[in-house]
Amino acid sequence: MAEPVERRILGRMSPSDEEIVINFGPQHPSTHGVIDFVTQTNGEIIRRSIPDIGYLHRGLEKIGEMVGYPGYMPFTDRIDYLAAMLANEGYAMAVERLLKLEVPPRAKYLRAIAGELCRISNHWVAVGTMASDIGASTPLTHALREREAINDLLEELCGARLTFNYARIGGVSFDAPEGWGEKILRYLDHLDSYVQEWDRLISLNQIYVKRLAKVAVISREKAIAYGLCGPNLRGSGIAWDTRRDLAYGAYPEFQFDVPVGQGKMGAVGDCWDRYAVRVLEMLESSKIIRQALAKLPEGEIMAKVARKPKPEAGEAMGRVESARGEMCYYVVSDGSENAYRVRVRTGSFMAMGIIEEMSQGLMIADLIALIASLDVVAPEIDR
Amino acid sequence: MPETVRNYFGAITDVVQTFWQGLSVTLSHMLRRPITIQYPDRTEKRVADMLPARYRGFLEVDMAVCTGCLACARACPIDVIKIAVDKDPANPKQRVITQFDIDESKCMFCGLCVEQCPTSAIAHTREFESTVRAVENLVFRWVPDAAKPAPFYRPVKGQDAPRAPVGSIMRVYLGSQVWAAPAPAWAVPAPGKDKG
Amino acid sequence: MKITTALDSTSLTTRYPKTALATTLFFMLALPFLLYVVLLLMLPFNQPETLDAVAKRFGWDLGHSPFRDTWYGVILLVEATIVSLYTAVFAGVTTWVERRIAGRMQSRIGPNRPGVFGFMSWVADAVKMLFKEDLIPAEADHLLFRAAPYFSMVGLTLPFVVLPFGESVIVADLNVGVFYVTATSAFVVVGILVSGWASNSKWALFGAVRGAAQVVSYEIPAGIAIMVPVLMAGTLSMQGIIRAQGGWPWQWFACQNPAAFVAFFIAVTASLAEGNRTPFDLPEAESELVAGYHAEYSGFRIALFLMVEWANMWIMGALAVTLFLGGWQIPGVSVETINQTRGPDVLPSLTWFCWEFVSLVVFAVKTWALVILFIWLRWTLPRVRVDQMMSLCWKYLVPGAFACFIFTLFWVMVPASVHLVSGVVISLGAALLLVKFALRTRKNIAQVKGARVDLSNW
Repeated sequence: MAEPVERRILGRMSPSDEEIVINFGPQHPSTHGVIDFVTQTNGEIIRRSIPDIGYLHRGLEKIGEMVGYPGYMPFTDRIDYLAAMLANEGYAMAVERLLKLEVPPRAKYLRAIAGELCRISNHWVAVGTMASDIGASTPLTHALREREAINDLLEELCGARLTFNYARIGGVSFDAPEGWGEKILRYLDHLDSYVQEWDRLISLNQIYVKRLAKVAVISREKAIAYGLCGPNLRGSGIAWDTRRDLAYGAYPEFQFDVPVGQGKMGAVGDCWDRYAVRVLEMLESSKIIRQALAKLPEGEIMAKVARKPKPEAGEAMGRVESARGEMCYYVVSDGSENAYRVRVRTGSFMAMGIIEEMSQGLMIADLIALIASLDVVAPEIDR
Repeated sequence: MPETVRNYFGAITDVVQTFWQGLSVTLSHMLRRPITIQYPDRTEKRVADMLPARYRGFLEVDMAVCTGCLACARACPIDVIKIAVDKDPANPKQRVITQFDIDESKCMFCGLCVEQCPTSAIAHTREFESTVRAVENLVFRWVPDAAKPAPFYRPVKGQDAPRAPVGSIMRVYLGSQVWAAPAPAWAVPAPGKDKG
Repeated sequence: MKITTALDSTSLTTRYPKTALATTLFFMLALPFLLYVVLLLMLPFNQPETLDAVAKRFGWDLGHSPFRDTWYGVILLVEATIVSLYTAVFAGVTTWVERRIAGRMQSRIGPNRPGVFGFMSWVADAVKMLFKEDLIPAEADHLLFRAAPYFSMVGLTLPFVVLPFGESVIVADLNVGVFYVTATSAFVVVGILVSGWASNSKWALFGAVRGAAQVVSYEIPAGIAIMVPVLMAGTLSMQGIIRAQGGWPWQWFACQNPAAFVAFFIAVTASLAEGNRTPFDLPEAESELVAGYHAEYSGFRIALFLMVEWANMWIMGALAVTLFLGGWQIPGVSVETINQTRGPDVLPSLTWFCWEFVSLVVFAVKTWALVILFIWLRWTLPRVRVDQMMSLCWKYLVPGAFACFIFTLFWVMVPASVHLVSGVVISLGAALLLVKFALRTRKNIAQVKGARVDLSNW
C-alpha cells in the first residue's frame, strides 16, 4: 500500500533541534478552504512549507463520465463556486467544439456579461478575504456587500446566487429579463466610484502595503516555469490574458486593457502586485460589461442541440479566462452519451506548486499573505 | 543620510495619513444603512415573495398537466426524481402516474428538469423554507396515495397547458407539512423498475 | 396547519417588550449605578478618622477597639471587590459596544435581539460560557493550564484600585499610583506565557511567545511616555497628576506641552500593543494563529481571558485620560469649589456627593471616548507583522518617547503662561483637525454613488 501522504511530506522535513513542524490547516481560517500546509519553521521563519491537498476531492472529473454532457453542467459550478459562470462557459465551449456547434451571438454576449459579472464577484471575495487574512476584518464585509449586488443581479437572470448552471451546450439557458441592463449599469456606476473608497480603506493603507510589498516576489521566469496563470501570472509582469490572446466567444469585439503588475509598492511580482491586478481587473470587467450591454444583439439564445447529445469520438479543449486563471476543460468523447474523460485544469492547482519554493525564508504571516495573494480555492485544487 | 531621514519621517507621515483615511472611511460607514435584512421577523413581506420570479427554489409539480413523459426524471443528473407509471386498471387505454417523488434533500436546484418539461408541470417555486425532523420527509410526494394515481395529461395542440399558478400548490403542500411527523417506513425499491 | 419551525418564533424581546426594557435598563444603568453609589458611600471611610467618627455616632467606640484595623481592612476589601465586579460589568458592556459599533462599520447590525438594542447579549454570553464543557487537552500541563487565566485576571483587577474615577472616588490613592499601574498590568503577560506553554500546542506557543515579546518591548516606550506627564506634575500619584491639570482642554497636559501631545499618541499606541489590540493583536491573530495563546481554552476560562482583554482597554483608556486628558476635572469647576462644599461634618454633604458624581461622569465619558477609539482602530486597520511591530517599537516609538522626555525636561522650566499659550494653540489645532475629519467623513459618503447618511436598520 502506498505510503500515506502525510508521512511522505513529513519525511521530507528534517527539522533541526530548534525547528518545529506544524500544520497550517486543514481547518484554518486563512487557507481558503481545506488545505493543509505542512510547515517546518524556525521560530517565525519558515524553512519550507509543503501543501497537502485532497481534502476536498469529490471525484468531479469521474462524475463527468457518468451524467452525460448536459447533466455535467451543474457540476462545473461546483468546481469553482465563486466564479461559476466562467466554469460553465469553459465546459460548454469544449463540448460545443466536440459537437462542432456554433453558438448564437446573443448567447455569446450574455455569457460574456454573466462571466464578467462573476469575475467582479470573485475578485471582491479574493480581495476581501485577503484583507481579512492580513487582519482587517471590515473590508471583508464591505467586499461581500458589494458582491451581494451582483448575486442579486445574477439571481434575477437565472434564479441562483452561487451555483448558476447558466450556460448550456449551444448557448445559455435564460434570456436577460426586463430592466436587467439598467440595473447592471446602475451597479457599475456605483462600483466605479466605490473602488476609490476601497483603495483608501485598504489598498493604500500603509500597514497593509508594508505587509505585502516585496513579499514572495515571483519573477517572470518562475511564474512561467511553474505554470501560473491568470492574475498570478499578470502580477509578475507578463501580459497574457486568454480573453485577448486566445479570444473566444464575444471577447474579440470588446476593447479592454490587461492590467499587469508594475511593482508600484515594492517589486514586480510581489503580493501587492497580485492584489492590485485583481482590483484593476474589476474595473476592466466593468468596462467590458458596459460595451457588451451597449452592443447586445438580438436573436436566439440557444442553438439546436439534441436532448442527450452524442458527439462523435474525439477530443476537444475549452479554454476560458476564469477568475483564478486559465481554466481548461479537456473532454474526450467515445461516441456515447457519456463522456469518456473530462479533465479540468484550474489555476489554483498550478498555484499550489509554487508555494513550496516561495515559502522558504518567509515568516508565518508572510505565508498567509502569499496564499491569499495567489487566490486559491480548495474546490478548484482538489475537484 | 538625507534619504534615510526622508524615509524615516516619510514613514511616519504615511502612517498618519493612513490612519486618517481609514478611520474616516469606517466612520462614514457607521452613518450608512447596514444592508442586513432582518429575517425572518422584521421583513415587510415574506422573503419568498421578495425573490425574483426565476428563483430556483423547491420543485412543484402540477399533476393535472403532467404528461408522464419522464423527461424530467431522465434529465436529472443525480436521480432525484422517481416516477412510477402504470396502466389505469379501470381504463387500459389511459396510463397513470402512481408515484412522483422528488427528494428535495438531495436536489441541487440546477433546473435541468424544469427545462425539459413540455407543459411546465414541474417548475421551481420561490419557496425555500422547509424544516422537518426526519430527513426522509423532505421527499415531496406529488402523488401521495398510489391508490389515487394521476392520469397522463394529453396536451391540446395550439393551446397552453392550464397549469396552476406557480407556487400555489407548493404553499398548500408546505402548509400541510408537520415538523415532527415520523419518518415513513422505508420500502425497498423494486430492482430496475424505479428509474424514471 | 402551520409549520412551526424555529424561524417562526418571535424573540422574547418582541413578545415581552416591557420586561426586556426593564432588564436592559437594570443591567445597563441600575447595576453600575448601584455599584457606584455603594462605592461613593464608602469613600469617606477610606480615612480612618472618618471611620472612627461615624462609629462613634452609632455608639461604638472603634478608636480603642483592637479590631479597628481589621474593620478598616474589611471596608477596603469590600470597596476593592466592588471595583473588581465593576471590571466584569465593564468588560461585558464593552463587548456589546464593540459588537454594535463593529457591526455598523461593517455594513451590518451587531447583536440586536436579546434585550433592548441587544444589550443583554453579553449577559447571555457570560451565562453560556459558564455552562460550556470544561475541556483541558490531555497532554496539557493541568495545573498551569488552570492557573493561567488567573494570572491574567490578577494583572487586570489590581490596577483598578488606583484608577481615579472621580475627585475622591478612588479606592487607594497611592503616591506611586502610576508606577503601580504599569507594574501590575504587566502581570497579564505572565498569564499569556503560562497559557501558551501549558496548552501543549505549537500554535498556542507561537501566540504566547509573540505576546511576551510584544508586551515586554512596548513597556519601554509606554513607560517613557508616561514619564512626560509625571515630570509636568511632579508626582507619581494619579490624583496628584489630575489635580495639576484643569477641566478645559487647554488645561490638559496633552495640550499644555507639545511633547506631551506626541507622548499621548505614543502612549496610546504602546497601550494598544500592551493590550493585544489590532493592529497589534499578533498573539491572538485570528487569521494566522487561530486564537493563539488561548486556542485550547473554552468555556469560562476563555471568558476570563477575553474579559482581561476588554477590561484592559478600560485600564489603558483610564490611564491615558488621567495622564493626558485631564482625568475627572470638570470644565469650569475647580477642586477648591468641590472641597468647599464638603461641609464641616465628618460625613460629607449631599452637594459634595453630587459633585463627585459629576466628576465621575466626566471621567467615564472621556474614558469611553478612548475605548471607542480603540474599538474603532481595531475594526479599521490590518495587523502588523512581528518584525514590523518590533521595528516600530525600537526604531520609532522609543526614540520618539525619549525625545519627548528630554523636551519636557526643558519645558517644565518655562513660565506657566507659555504652557497656557501652548494649551490654547494645540487645543484649537486639535479642534480644527476634528472638524476637518468630520468634513472628510461627509465627503466619503458623497463620493460613492448610491450612498447616503441613513441611521435606520437597528
